[in-house]
Amino acid sequence: MKKIILAGAALALWAGAARAEIKVVTASSDLKYLCERVGGAEVKVESLASGDQDLHMVEPRPSMVYKLKKADLAVRVGLDLDMWVDSLINAARNPRLFYGKEGYVDASAKVPLLEQPEGKVDASMGDIHIYGNPHYWLDPANSKIMAGNILAGLKRAVPEKAAAFDANYASFVRELDEKLAGWQARMAKHKGLKVITYHSSWPYFAARFGLFVAGHVEPKPGIPPSASHLDGLVKKMKAENIKVILTESYYPRKGPDFLAGKTGAAVVIAAVSAGGAKTVKTYFDVFDRVIEDLEKAAGNK
Amino acid sequence: MKKGFIFIVFLALVGIASAQEAGTLPQGMRGKVINLPDISALGNITGRLSDDKSDSGRNELGINEVETAFQGYIYPEMRADIILAIHKHDGDYESEICEAKASFNKLAEGLSGEMGKIHLDFGRINKLHTHHLPMVDKPAVLTNFFGDHELAGQGGTLKYLLPFTPFYTQVQAGAWTMAPHEHGVTADYPEDVLTITGSTVSVPSLVHEDADFSPAGKVYTARINSSFALADRTELEIGASGLKGRGAHYEEHMDNVEVTGVDLTLRLWPSSYKKFTFQNEWIHLKREVPVGTLHRDGFYSFLNYRPDKYWDFGARFDYAEGAWPTISYGRSLSAIVTRHLTETSYWRLQYKHRNLDGENVNEGWLQVSFGIGPHSHELE
Repeated sequence: MKKIILAGAALALWAGAARAEIKVVTASSDLKYLCERVGGAEVKVESLASGDQDLHMVEPRPSMVYKLKKADLAVRVGLDLDMWVDSLINAARNPRLFYGKEGYVDASAKVPLLEQPEGKVDASMGDIHIYGNPHYWLDPANSKIMAGNILAGLKRAVPEKAAAFDANYASFVRELDEKLAGWQARMAKHKGLKVITYHSSWPYFAARFGLFVAGHVEPKPGIPPSASHLDGLVKKMKAENIKVILTESYYPRKGPDFLAGKTGAAVVIAAVSAGGAKTVKTYFDVFDRVIEDLEKAAGNK
Repeated sequence: MKKGFIFIVFLALVGIASAQEAGTLPQGMRGKVINLPDISALGNITGRLSDDKSDSGRNELGINEVETAFQGYIYPEMRADIILAIHKHDGDYESEICEAKASFNKLAEGLSGEMGKIHLDFGRINKLHTHHLPMVDKPAVLTNFFGDHELAGQGGTLKYLLPFTPFYTQVQAGAWTMAPHEHGVTADYPEDVLTITGSTVSVPSLVHEDADFSPAGKVYTARINSSFALADRTELEIGASGLKGRGAHYEEHMDNVEVTGVDLTLRLWPSSYKKFTFQNEWIHLKREVPVGTLHRDGFYSFLNYRPDKYWDFGARFDYAEGAWPTISYGRSLSAIVTRHLTETSYWRLQYKHRNLDGENVNEGWLQVSFGIGPHSHELE
């Protein structure tokens, strides 16, 4: 009898401890980082996609359903970049995570969007995003809004921890502001730098740091480059003296390397999410690394 | 009146504010025009070459199937999918309700249900629509045991995610009424009908039965499937399925049917786009007929490599015994190349060498599959 009581007590303690931790599942590793910053020790966060994955192309799998089934909060990128999350949430049948419920967080809410299409949208425009460009996390200033959405979600999940979450959020914003000021100061001398990007992933980054995106390796979003398109880019880069090609680490190198070979431009290969490269472990590292590489590429030319 | 107006404006503003706070709508709720479902159309153009001179459908190119889908939410956590198809059947175009179902995503924690006409969740491939298949033709074991089309039933199913296993496990059970594959009105299947004057007149039959064998009548299904994340980017999925019913031509054959199947799929993602898939499915058919019990087996093994986001290279081996009383043995080897254009559009080449009871046939396909508009299926 004594053993049974002890076992019951241990089980109750274990269950209590398990309840104390908020389980959060995020679509991307950047969102994982932000959740960990805002949630602190109260949260256990898992990301469905790893940092070196193309978020357009993540394949939903049953192990992801298992993670969502147990989650208190699901945080998604939104804007039809991570549509695969919809089928996972439906398959997990976790009532907390359905659209509009307390555990559903769309990090894109209230983010000022760029490249919102107007009028008719169809596949002749490539893999176009109907709500606007979804690569908004590449403007670090937007992470305040993203973290704010996460903060609201965590407060809904555990209102009694609101003060701790608020303090964590404030600490994150202070660090972000300091870093942002530093990044902007470094990029000020490269204002107006013309770059070619592989995909239309960089308008938010370019707007924040004063770069000018002169063209894309992809002729249209998601469409692989043809020889004639690359030839046109070579002519454009030579005519406009464009010396930097910016590409995500997961895209093929063939197109950028061809352009670099023909024009002498430098190829900057950027990890666009936390964990996307060995030296890019956090969301802040994404900007530390890409700005450093852009400085080198622009300075060398 | 004024107060009422202000109250309505307040409610509308509150509604807009909450919608903005919630962010992007999930699939099935997208679109800037209010109250429209996701509407999509898919086409499947197929050309087929064969050196089998007795094959009347060989060396033809044309539209093989058109599918239209209307998908959306009808209530919180409850959605409807209506998928209508017109496809070529024995050289003629015929229409059918491919699927029309209401899905209840939250009956209870971990429990969901579906009602309507639904592709049965048996194994890995049966529930897939043509445009989702990683190959032009379906494995022979499925066509031999289930017919040329996906095995679909009218009824309902319950799906439950087991809460206590430390990995993904889903169990499900369904009860169905299944007719042999039916199509719309066609003049090729006339039927003699008695008129009011007492004479008979020949009119197009409303439906006709396929000659294929397939389960039919009152059918009961069950499936359990689990998934194990062997490593960060390696997933092993195993499943077992069962079905109990009658044969499609019960009046003729008096056959009670049991089908069991197991499937095993290993998927690896070495990098962001690279992917290996090794998928295997074995199905056993048991037909109890008045003169005894027939046992038939079949399986396929499918290996696919995706080197980047645009290309897929696959190979499939099929072994299938015929379902009819006279046993036949078919083996085939296929090579498949797919070039993806968008998420719903691709072109594909497939070569198949098959041997049916010692007779060799070579076949080749060109398939162009395209999609227009937002189209989604549940997790597959």
